[in-house]
Amino acid sequence: MKEILKLGGILMLVTAIAGAALSMVNVITKPKIEEQKRLVTQRALVAALPTADPDSIEAVTQNDQLEYYIGYATAAKKKIVGYAFIAKKYGYSSEIETMVGVDTTGKIIGLKVIDHKETPGLGTKIEEIRYGESSPYFQDQFINRTIDNIALDKDNGEIKSITGATVSSRAMTESIVEGFKRLEQKLDGFKKPITTQEQVN
Amino acid sequence: MPISNEFFKGFYKENPVFKLALGLCPTLAVSNSLQNAVGMGAAATFVLLCSNVIVSLIRKGVPKKIRIPIYIVIIATFVTIVDLVMAGFAPDLHKSLGIFVPLIVVNCVILGRAEAFAGKNSVAYSFIDGLGMGIGFTFALSAVAVVRELLGSGKLWGFPIMGSGFEPVLLLILPPGAFLTLGLFVGLFNWLDNKRTTA
Repeated sequence: MKEILKLGGILMLVTAIAGAALSMVNVITKPKIEEQKRLVTQRALVAALPTADPDSIEAVTQNDQLEYYIGYATAAKKKIVGYAFIAKKYGYSSEIETMVGVDTTGKIIGLKVIDHKETPGLGTKIEEIRYGESSPYFQDQFINRTIDNIALDKDNGEIKSITGATVSSRAMTESIVEGFKRLEQKLDGFKKPITTQEQVN
Repeated sequence: MPISNEFFKGFYKENPVFKLALGLCPTLAVSNSLQNAVGMGAAATFVLLCSNVIVSLIRKGVPKKIRIPIYIVIIATFVTIVDLVMAGFAPDLHKSLGIFVPLIVVNCVILGRAEAFAGKNSVAYSFIDGLGMGIGFTFALSAVAVVRELLGSGKLWGFPIMGSGFEPVLLLILPPGAFLTLGLFVGLFNWLDNKRTTA
């Protein structure tokens, strides 16, 4: 009994020191990691809204909650070229987060996966770029689609799911549809010519 | 044994990958490009070096019964440090190494050296052992990676090397290529050994 307490005590001491050391490292690296995350979002926005001026993209918030992003043709922010939203849904082993850009008529013009921790070799194929190609083949299927024809082949749609990664494919597809619907609601529908800035704030 | 031997044994005589067959998982998984290999090698070397020094420092105070959990806590701490620092300062490398950074915790080279060497030897020797083994591990990873990246994608360190007429052997950057290349290297090392002992 005494020995167990002694051994347990030593282990506790070791883990306490380790924990203290890690919290110190965390203090230093946390702002850096957050900065990197911001850069990832920035790059995803540029990929999702290829027609927008990168400096013009601004976030629209409501009650401190991010709703969507707006991209303008120029930094002067006169003409809206599209919107971007973050689609999220739990896949096989993680939440798959995708930045999706649509133009003012409701057509997807770009997308980029921001974060996921799916199974390497299977679920990670949502981001896989085939040899000799320049963009991920799974994500390319979404380009130029509107909300009406985004569905996986297994759900009688046109988007080809990834072999061995149906769950990840479906999660990403459904998250985009859901995000799309939310955006449509917020904007009060597409196809209305939106040229002024009034709905921004 | 002179201290320089402790350093150089990691390259050839006791090369962790080719001779001791330790740490094969990262060798197979992240040797698809030289950049990944060197990044993983550097991360593992840092962890190995730090854990060897700490384990050696506290070796007299560690009760034998709980030495393995203590070693694991020490190793896991340094791996987490590497993971955080890499995420903050080298995000691209962090992303391409992915799950294999946290998996350094279970890299047998590191626990193996703590158990077989640092727990029994002085700090100076343990430091040199960690450095030699770490560089030996990086060397092995890089050797496999050079072959795979050069023939598998026609590049080296991300730059196209082979001429446009070169048709990359896709198999080599896929998992079977890792096994083939590693197997051939292990064979080469054994053959060199045999030649030396029979001569």
